[in-house]
Amino acid sequence: MKSLSERYVPLVVSVGQVVIFPYYILWLKEASLTFTLFTWFFASFSFSAAMGYRLFQAGKKPANSYIPYIYLGVGCVYILVGNIRSSFEVLPYMALLFQVILGFLQGYHHAWHIEQNAYRLHAINHYLLVGVIMVGLSFVKIISPIIFITTFGAILFICGIGLIFMKKEDRAVSN
Amino acid sequence: MLKPSLINNNKQVIHKNPWFLGFVVCIFVVFVSLNIPIEKRKYGLSQSNLTTDYAGLLPERIERIVKVGDRTELQKMVKEANEKGHHISIAGLQHSQGGHTYYKDSVVLDMKTFNKVLEIDKQHKTIKVESGATWEDVQEAIQPYGLALKVTQSQSIFTIGGSLSVNAHGRDIRSGPMAGTVRGMTILTPTGEIKTVTRNDSEEWMKYVFGGYGLFGVILDVTLELTENDVYIIHTEELKTNEYEAYFEKLLRNDDASMHYARVSVAPNSFLNEMYVIDYLNTGKKDHQTPLKKERGARIGKLALDIGRQGGVLEDLFWENQKLLIKSLDGDKITRNNAMRGNSVFMEFTKPGRVEVLQEFFIPVEQYEEYISDLKRFLPANDNNDDFKIHNITVRYAAKDDYTYLNYAKEDMFGLVILIQHGLKEKEINNAKAIIQGWTDLTLKHGGVYYLPYYPYQTKEQFRKSYPKWEKFHEEKLKRDPKVVFQNIFYEYYF
Repeated sequence: MKSLSERYVPLVVSVGQVVIFPYYILWLKEASLTFTLFTWFFASFSFSAAMGYRLFQAGKKPANSYIPYIYLGVGCVYILVGNIRSSFEVLPYMALLFQVILGFLQGYHHAWHIEQNAYRLHAINHYLLVGVIMVGLSFVKIISPIIFITTFGAILFICGIGLIFMKKEDRAVSN
Repeated sequence: MLKPSLINNNKQVIHKNPWFLGFVVCIFVVFVSLNIPIEKRKYGLSQSNLTTDYAGLLPERIERIVKVGDRTELQKMVKEANEKGHHISIAGLQHSQGGHTYYKDSVVLDMKTFNKVLEIDKQHKTIKVESGATWEDVQEAIQPYGLALKVTQSQSIFTIGGSLSVNAHGRDIRSGPMAGTVRGMTILTPTGEIKTVTRNDSEEWMKYVFGGYGLFGVILDVTLELTENDVYIIHTEELKTNEYEAYFEKLLRNDDASMHYARVSVAPNSFLNEMYVIDYLNTGKKDHQTPLKKERGARIGKLALDIGRQGGVLEDLFWENQKLLIKSLDGDKITRNNAMRGNSVFMEFTKPGRVEVLQEFFIPVEQYEEYISDLKRFLPANDNNDDFKIHNITVRYAAKDDYTYLNYAKEDMFGLVILIQHGLKEKEINNAKAIIQGWTDLTLKHGGVYYLPYYPYQTKEQFRKSYPKWEKFHEEKLKRDPKVVFQNIFYEYYF
């Protein structure tokens, strides 16, 4: 169980984040009315990621217990992005909020991930997997970006829920 | 005070303090939120996509766009179009909404680049300016001389050529129609001649070009009459709609009253019963220093309008707030130039599947009360659950116009500018057409007319009743432009 949560799920998350990025960017571009706003959205992501990263470092160990909720949070954001039907007037404000949340959660997750033993092993697998998946996606012409974003959100959500239950089971066994 | 973080070697690094980072994120989010621009309608000239005007209801493919810069080249182009049978359309800011600025496979002249201020005559209070300049360009040029425009539209974003082509009107109640403030102009005729004409020109070019919707040639430059940049005191008052006629007659007798407009309630609780007026009364003082105001508070204005757009109780709330806001202006001072540059960005509306359009109906001044009374019976007070929604009605005075041929003010009129929202499905557009056609019939019954720069919901028959001189206008068009070089969707629809 532990190997699943520490080896495979983080890999799914990090690969998925990169794979989903071009689709997410398409959505973000739609939500940004100007190029300036587009760059500001990235800046807010980055500042927030720095905060998430630092908060993990400053926190008392072990922080593993929060990780499933990180997956849940990121998953929820992607599901919302995929299903949002707001008018264009509200969309930039929602995009800003999503960027801040995503930045924070990803920063936090990255800080945790690099401390894991499997991180170095992930690096090679990560690059290879991203390359292969991207080549595969280049043949998919029709499906809307929204479907990919929602699907990835759902996968993360399920991972989060699954890990919460696994942890509960682990605790029950150790007691 | 933030406590610096202790990182490697006990070095104090503030930028790695979580509190500091949180503070940065908060500040940045607030900054970005406040600077998210208001989305503007995507419209305009395009060679790669379909061209539209501001309403976006009549998309069409055009041949090419020519950014106008040189008169001789333009003249050559018009002569060539005569020889080869090409069509030319003329576009300014394209806020007209009925395809007046383009035509299928036509060459469209983008006049916005033809915008030089040519001469300011302080002594005779005139300005000579190229037609692609905006009213704002003119205001910026004349403000340092203590001068102001005689007539302009409520917003200063439009091009001068565009405004004159629709013979627009504004808030001034003393200077007559816009066409009457043009002392002279240079035009490029449909046959390719460059002519300088005045009001006394025997061929009456001005009568056809102003309010001619770009069908009688290109306005190259105009010499506009100006006036002093007077300082006004704002007077506001709440009225019942049945008190307005008497109020306005009294206002006209007050020599200090220079500008005026009014707004009628479209909120369910006070629908067409309440209105407020805003008058600009001359203080006798002149201004040479007050800078031209910029648009401020667009986001808050848009938020308020968006609340009103929800209809029902929220529209009542919006109306009550508008009254409070207007009341707060009472007694304020403003220069003529600043009174002539209203805000526009707050009105942007970009909801997919829906559109906001304008219609304007002119009613003889003495018919106003009866008209409003009939209108109350014709329109639902609460359009919350309807597809066809009325968001705003403003009233302006349009003095009798003898300067243009296709004139809307055959006598002294009130112009009711209506902001309407409806859906874009065929059924919804047909529903809007039916309502507006009914409204037009009602207007005609009271001796009024509808204004032509907007989407043609009306029938040809209604057009002919509203503009009985249409036949002569058409004859003259064919006489002066026998090859129909200057062509647009508006002309094709009505003639």
